[in-house]
Amino acid sequence: MRPAAAAATATTAALRLRAASLSPSLAASLSPSLAALLSHRRSSLILPPLRRICSLAPPHSSAAPNSQPPPQLLSPIMDAQFELFRAQLDESSTLRDRIRAVVAEIESASRVATAALLLVHQPVPLADVLVKAKAQVEVIKGLYARLAEVLKECPGQYYRYHADWRTETHMVVSMLAFMHWLETGGLLMHAEAQEKLGLCSGEFGLDVEDYLTGLCFMSNEFPRFVVNRVTAGDYDCPKRVLGFLTDLHASFRMLNLRNDFLRKKFDGMKYDLRRVEEVYYDVKIRGLVPA
Amino acid sequence: MATDAAAVPNPPASSGCPAMKAEFAKHAEYLNTLNDKRERLVKASRDITMNSKKVIFQVHRITKVNRDEVLSKAENDLAAVVNQYIAKLVKELQGTDFWKLRRAYTFGVQEYVEAATLCRFCKTGTLLSLAEINDSLLALSGQSVEPLQLNVLDYLLGVADLSGELMRLAIGRISDGEVEYAKTICAFVRDIYRELTLVVPLMDDNSEMKKKMEVMLQSVVKIENACFSVHVRGSEYIPLLESSADPGYSYFGAPDFDQ
Repeated sequence: MRPAAAAATATTAALRLRAASLSPSLAASLSPSLAALLSHRRSSLILPPLRRICSLAPPHSSAAPNSQPPPQLLSPIMDAQFELFRAQLDESSTLRDRIRAVVAEIESASRVATAALLLVHQPVPLADVLVKAKAQVEVIKGLYARLAEVLKECPGQYYRYHADWRTETHMVVSMLAFMHWLETGGLLMHAEAQEKLGLCSGEFGLDVEDYLTGLCFMSNEFPRFVVNRVTAGDYDCPKRVLGFLTDLHASFRMLNLRNDFLRKKFDGMKYDLRRVEEVYYDVKIRGLVPA
Repeated sequence: MATDAAAVPNPPASSGCPAMKAEFAKHAEYLNTLNDKRERLVKASRDITMNSKKVIFQVHRITKVNRDEVLSKAENDLAAVVNQYIAKLVKELQGTDFWKLRRAYTFGVQEYVEAATLCRFCKTGTLLSLAEINDSLLALSGQSVEPLQLNVLDYLLGVADLSGELMRLAIGRISDGEVEYAKTICAFVRDIYRELTLVVPLMDDNSEMKKKMEVMLQSVVKIENACFSVHVRGSEYIPLLESSADPGYSYFGAPDFDQ
């Protein structure tokens, strides 16, 4: 009976591994010198001694592997430490679940607001469009306040959980900035955006990179907007949008960006700018631009 | 055709542009500072990684005879890593930057944890705890500065890597004839694996850790197989290159006569 059979209770994978280690090519698990010696000796051994190696009789060994109990490791220290880790990570896991719950609500309110804003592509009075969106902004403001409350329980760990609300924040900023432009024609600044969401830099703030990424998402809205405004007869719109987007793009060019998500989104902005330029050109050469 | 939507008001005449530029100048400065800090952290992290690896290789040179000097050199080198390179992390990671820029320095810290736990194990056979590591780091910061305290995630990732090094150590020790040592390592790594299986599902963003657990299981199995081979071969398993080997044994323990 090969010793391998004794390991029948092991998992299949382990069994396969063990079988492999009993094959003549067990050099892998031994030092090179021993392996070399083995292969050399194997070729010059006559058969009976080889059989002896595989015999049933347990080999007499001065090493007597079972005579010594395994040395006692200080498991209590290890266990206590890992108990603590489990408790801490459990807590953070629960916190994360609560954060995700609030963020899900933010996402849904943000979607309602964005859907309301979609009406600007149709000939609907701007005031009407904005009313519904503004109501949602109030809701979102409340939700961010709840998020800030949750995070108060773990001061300093804003960025530990940041990824959980990052994407939603991009969408919210994009929506807010677009609304701001519709109302005033100007850019929503970082401080204003932070205020609209009821946040403040000290504790739970609006991350600058999130804000900038949100602006890039906002710029994606303009090509479609401009096209539909012209179709609706507003020939002044392309010029204003072009001016705004050119300024925005120029401002972004002042930044030194890394090759990350923000950079990728910023790279998309020039295509939005191009498309708005083309619409403006179409309108201008046909003499549609108001004097 | 005239529009029926209320026309968007004209933007404030010339103030849109300069105001925007001023705003973005601030953002440019913010991003430059942030990225510079990130770069410094990455550099420090690479230094920590490189020097911690040197400590690990130093420990692998351990034999029955040179154990004490190898370990004392390793400990000195480790202390140098802390004082020279980890110290650089201290002032950079004040406040929220600790978590914000974690990706920049996590590999260095993991490597350091790996080296420190390996040294401790070789010395005493126990697992160096996170609390102990953090206590040793308190000395790096004065009163005005927030002390650097490693987080549990980096510690666990480092401990996961430790199992790979212990596997190499175990196999190496078997070749050197230190079979008992290998068994000690085997029991130790099993304990770590067992403790970690309960903790891993709770870790933030644990895809990396899950991969490490697979590798760890392979390491555990390799050590177990090596111990198994040693056990089965028993007296046959003599360290052939050891001068203290009993000359009465023939190779493989096969007797010179038939039984």
